Amino acid sequence: MTQGPLAARRDLLALVLDTLVPEGEGFPESGALALDHVLAMAAASAEIESLLSRLLEAVERAARGGNVRGFSELGAVQREDLLRRVERTLPEPFEALVRHTYDGFYSHPATITRLGLEPGPVQPRGHRIEPTALPDLARVAARGPIYRRA
Amino acid sequence: MATDDRTDVLVIGAGASGAAVAWRLAGAGIRVVCLEQGDWLDARAYPHWQADWELHRHTDWSAEPNVRRLPQDYPVNDQGSVISPLMYNAVGGSTIHWSAHFPRFRPSDFRVRSLDGVADDWPIDYATLEPYFDLNDRVMGVAGITGDPAYPPKSPRQTPPIPLDTLGTTIAGGFERLGWHWWPSDSAILTRDYDGRRACVNCGPCDLGCPIGAKASTDITYWPKALAAGARLLTRARVREITLGPDGLADGVIYYDRDGHERAQKARAVVLAANGIGTPRLLLNSRSARFPDGLANRSGLVGRNLMFHPYAMVRGIFDRPLGGHRGPIGCSIISQEFYETDLSRGFVRGYSFQVARGLSPIASASGGSVYDRVPWGREHRRAYAARFDRTITVAIIGEDLPELHNRVDLDPALIDAHGIPAPRVSYALSENSRRMLDHGIARGAEALKAAGAHEVAFNPLLRAGGWHLMGTARMGSDPATSVVDAEGRCHDVPNLYVVDGSVMVTSAGVNPTSTIQAVALYVADRMIRRRS
Repeated sequence: MTQGPLAARRDLLALVLDTLVPEGEGFPESGALALDHVLAMAAASAEIESLLSRLLEAVERAARGGNVRGFSELGAVQREDLLRRVERTLPEPFEALVRHTYDGFYSHPATITRLGLEPGPVQPRGHRIEPTALPDLARVAARGPIYRRA
Repeated sequence: MATDDRTDVLVIGAGASGAAVAWRLAGAGIRVVCLEQGDWLDARAYPHWQADWELHRHTDWSAEPNVRRLPQDYPVNDQGSVISPLMYNAVGGSTIHWSAHFPRFRPSDFRVRSLDGVADDWPIDYATLEPYFDLNDRVMGVAGITGDPAYPPKSPRQTPPIPLDTLGTTIAGGFERLGWHWWPSDSAILTRDYDGRRACVNCGPCDLGCPIGAKASTDITYWPKALAAGARLLTRARVREITLGPDGLADGVIYYDRDGHERAQKARAVVLAANGIGTPRLLLNSRSARFPDGLANRSGLVGRNLMFHPYAMVRGIFDRPLGGHRGPIGCSIISQEFYETDLSRGFVRGYSFQVARGLSPIASASGGSVYDRVPWGREHRRAYAARFDRTITVAIIGEDLPELHNRVDLDPALIDAHGIPAPRVSYALSENSRRMLDHGIARGAEALKAAGAHEVAFNPLLRAGGWHLMGTARMGSDPATSVVDAEGRCHDVPNLYVVDGSVMVTSAGVNPTSTIQAVALYVADRMIRRRS
């Protein structure tokens, strides 16, 4: 694929991902954050690449069927409606795309930060748990043995 | 074919049980060689040191060998099973991946036939194993607190319990309001430095290995001690079959070394520690004129009576943050309110509740073990915000009863990278298990609501939940109804031993590793006694 079609495919995929995970609820970031991850998964797996190509072709085909030049010309509500139609037609590839999108989006440092967590590796920092007294187990212990002697 | 020097005892598999038995035998001056198809893992290469650590759970660090597909893995045909078997192939075996939940079987678990008229009694009991439970606890290092009325008194735990934190305290409140049993879980995770190992820093994803050695895996607990005692461990050594001498005794194995060359290792005794699927696979693949249906299989029971623990998952959503990303992923609280048989519930035997930590960012979106993915599109943000860091998942781990039709055999077509037939797993959920899980789902939802959950969802059966592989070379006194005797020796081949989950007669309603290792240590002591 030449540079022009490659860029167009990337733009279309970004729009699809933004429709899957739109901005909102205090999150200015949207699904396009997952773009590099989804493309990397497709590059690493012929199976995923094939599914992605089928999906994007189906999206563009469905958009042109609506008398516009492409998915990019639709408004947000129309894009979502169109993707729901594609989802019904190609449920398994669509589900795979949603999951790869979530994987990419919810592992992105910008998302992690927005969730109130510290991005980056979980080691060596770990997490601090405030020390507290041992729980009160008196009621449970007071029941006496609840196991059967055998 | 190259032949290695004959050794006293050959152990197949370097996981939970193989490591324990190798350590015990080597410590008694017995020459031990262990063959492990995986390799040593470098904790510096664990996903925790990378920003994208959570993504590895679905790829190279998946608990499913059929997903992971690493060179040291073998495929498992699980199309005929409603539960997918999970395992890991490395020094440490599946203790690399486990969440280190460390309850023991209870006394009644060894007397199921006598007490409840189902399954079979074990030929050994809790009292026999108790010193080995304690010994194993000392080597592995257990966090917990004594006094749990669900068990006979235990020796002091090595470190204080895993902190409950906000999440644990919240669900404990639910159990308290209902007046039910609950207790901080015994966990093979250190909360204080112990035996040269560091305390847990609560990073979370224990299921991806523990990069600092706070969680016990046998590559860092038993193996350094076993090697110091003189045991030899050969990695990337995949055993194809166990060989017999003219006297009908096992005389060693044929295996493939890390370069793919076929080799023979001779031994005076062979110990199988390859897990509840790997062990029957090897026995069934070791056919001869003397054993045309597989080695030590005159009973026809090798591979039969496969038990998993069927898991159902109940998840509650709360209206406040719970800090669920902090702390060991699998260990918080156990409840055994519904453990012993009460036939008025509609099933025999029982189950435990295990409370896991909260869901990480990706798992929150994908639905975690309940599998209910957050919707995409305009609803996504609101639905995700309502769920992230506001969930508690209660797992119901039910006792699985042995049934002949649940089994492991050899797949007629599927093979591993060395051309060895792959195992095929056939497993159906019993009606008793279904009723048990349904009861647990209803009671789990009750506990979550009592703790303050405003919404509850459940998964009636966790497919990717086959952590515990048991029963496929069961222990017993009668050679017609069991594969190994009360000392782990095969009835048909008295110098061939099995020490992994295959020997378990029943599965109990708790995680089995503590009991598997106690049995392995007990068998090792019987071998030592017989030798002397």
